[in-house]
Amino acid sequence: MKADARRLSVHVPMIVLSLLAVFPVWWMVVTSLKPENEIFSTRLWPASPSLENYAYVLDAIPMIRILWNTFAMAAATATAQVLTGLCAAYALTRWRFRGASVAQGLIALSWLVPFQLTMIPNYVLATQLGLLNTIAGLVIPNAAAAFAVLVLTNAMRSFPKDLIDAARMDGAGHFRVLCEVVVPNLRAPLASLGVLVFISAWNEYFWPLLLTRRIEDTVVQIGLQMFMTQEGNQWGALMAAATLASLPILLLYLVLHRQIIESFMRSGIR
Amino acid sequence: MLRRLCMTRSLSAALAATMLAAPAARAEMAATITEPVTITFYSYNLASAGLGKETTEGLIADFMAANPLITVEPVAAPSNEILSRVQADIVAGQQPDVAQLVFRDLIYAAKDLGAQPFEDLAGDELAVHAEGMVPNGLALGRVDGKTYGLAYTFSTPVMFINADLFRAAGLDPDQPPRTWAEVKAAGIAIHEKTGKHGFFPGAFGPIDGTFVYQSLVMSNGGKVREGNKLTYAEPAAAGAVTMLRDLRDSGAYADIDVAAHMDTFASGDLGMFLFTSAIQSRMQKAAEGNFELRVAAMPSFGDKPTAPTNSGSALFVLSQDPVKQRAAWELTKFLTSKYAYTQITSKIGYLPLRLDIVDDPQYLKDWVEANPMILPNLEQLTRLTPNVAFPGPNYRQVESMMKDAAAEAVLGSGDPVAVLKAAQERGQALMPADG
Repeated sequence: MKADARRLSVHVPMIVLSLLAVFPVWWMVVTSLKPENEIFSTRLWPASPSLENYAYVLDAIPMIRILWNTFAMAAATATAQVLTGLCAAYALTRWRFRGASVAQGLIALSWLVPFQLTMIPNYVLATQLGLLNTIAGLVIPNAAAAFAVLVLTNAMRSFPKDLIDAARMDGAGHFRVLCEVVVPNLRAPLASLGVLVFISAWNEYFWPLLLTRRIEDTVVQIGLQMFMTQEGNQWGALMAAATLASLPILLLYLVLHRQIIESFMRSGIR
Repeated sequence: MLRRLCMTRSLSAALAATMLAAPAARAEMAATITEPVTITFYSYNLASAGLGKETTEGLIADFMAANPLITVEPVAAPSNEILSRVQADIVAGQQPDVAQLVFRDLIYAAKDLGAQPFEDLAGDELAVHAEGMVPNGLALGRVDGKTYGLAYTFSTPVMFINADLFRAAGLDPDQPPRTWAEVKAAGIAIHEKTGKHGFFPGAFGPIDGTFVYQSLVMSNGGKVREGNKLTYAEPAAAGAVTMLRDLRDSGAYADIDVAAHMDTFASGDLGMFLFTSAIQSRMQKAAEGNFELRVAAMPSFGDKPTAPTNSGSALFVLSQDPVKQRAAWELTKFLTSKYAYTQITSKIGYLPLRLDIVDDPQYLKDWVEANPMILPNLEQLTRLTPNVAFPGPNYRQVESMMKDAAAEAVLGSGDPVAVLKAAQERGQALMPADG
């Protein structure tokens, strides 16, 4: 009896919290199914559900193309940041060179530089290099990030040196050590960093706003903004677009949820 | 918000350096286009899904079909980001040719962005093109006597009315309030008898409503600035704000989130809503099957005539190249032609700057007959009063401080005049010293 009560006292708050977490997603989907004159109804399910908002979104903006652009940009940015972060972290932790701590300090300081400060030089350079309206233009300025370097430097510092020394004594070069010894053992922080960078890139707004001039070259956050104007928000269409935009991330999570949860727990990244 | 402010400031600084380095001499616009030329058109209508985008794309396509030597490359940016976009492209050497900018940026566009005055650019062609425009039409885009912007998509504040709430409160929707005293009485009646909200002006909050605030101020005989002197705390201007405060204290003024005024009205919970006619089609869709929507003219202060000012945007020619200037001028003429205003009014809901097309069966006559809700707004065009932009590099901060002070004066608990005076004093320090 006591055990049941205790279990109940644990489960009830968790069920309530889960419902609270799921409710906004539910509301987004429900709103996306409501016709215009039902948008402000508080019913939990529309009186006459329809897919007209989805049809409108797909007609009004090239949503599939935009989602593909966003996926390509986010995946490339995540891959690039993980790779550059990995190489930098290896160099900073394994190689002893003059000024190593200064280099690490400068990388850490660069984290504090706001995007607005580098935006114009980056934009001028991207224009001169012909990177306007390209995914490469969206990715290259974000291909290396202080956050990735610092996370992986910390992870590599706790990596057993003996393992690396043993591999070196066996004649492995730095690249082989990195690929065959370090990476397989750092899967958790690498995966969690990759997921964080992917989500951050997926939500990127200002840089794509500046760099892309055509709707078919842009990314999903700009697409969503198109349903929010000074003349009011098109809530039904906005929720339909947001539902479509969250589907790839949701699918990714459904496929990889075990690995993602495990990697977050092991790496300590919250 | 802070990120946007920082972005605008860093762009302004970079742009100032670029403009200083640019050559001062300006070439004369080409007489004709003889070779293919490509120009850019920066538009915020293109950055919104729906009728604004479709209509603008249609107009661009029509223009290119009529002018085969000119290719227009559209560049989309949201209305609150479009200036930053134009600034960034000038800095990057991607000179914009035609830009749709909001009226608050008028003086900045004229003095710092390199916009070309149409009198210098087009000479007599401007007068020919302006024939048929409402008398104050050209004045909307004028700075120091020259026309830098041609009014493109714009409107004046109208009163949206929920007729069902009027009836439920024992009011007659066929006799909408004509004065602010009547608005107060109607607002109280709606609030007390239906439990819903009475009145709300779309003047404050994150959605730009400066034109509503300025319309109120000017309708009471006030001004927000005279020359470089801020005057929004002077008695007539402050009187408009104290009137709103009185509405709030009486319960006639809706106690709602300032960011949710449109949604509150669309949901049927607000009796009267003063805002741009550009939202009319959206409100019609929201009202369908829920409540009866009516539109009335902006109320007046007693028997003083109202002075409705304009929301929306003007077209600016920024081209430096003579051939592109000609192409840009041709595009500007097309986008402010009878045909274009017919499209803009009937499809998006903005006002036509040319009143002669309203009765012309070739243009808007049939549409106006089928959509009588536009009539109060058309009538207001006869009293159209240009929106007042602020000068100097700090113009956005000055306007922002004024809006915040007016909101605090109406929605806060302090003395409204004291709040306005304090803000005016602080704002004055940011205004240009001369003039």
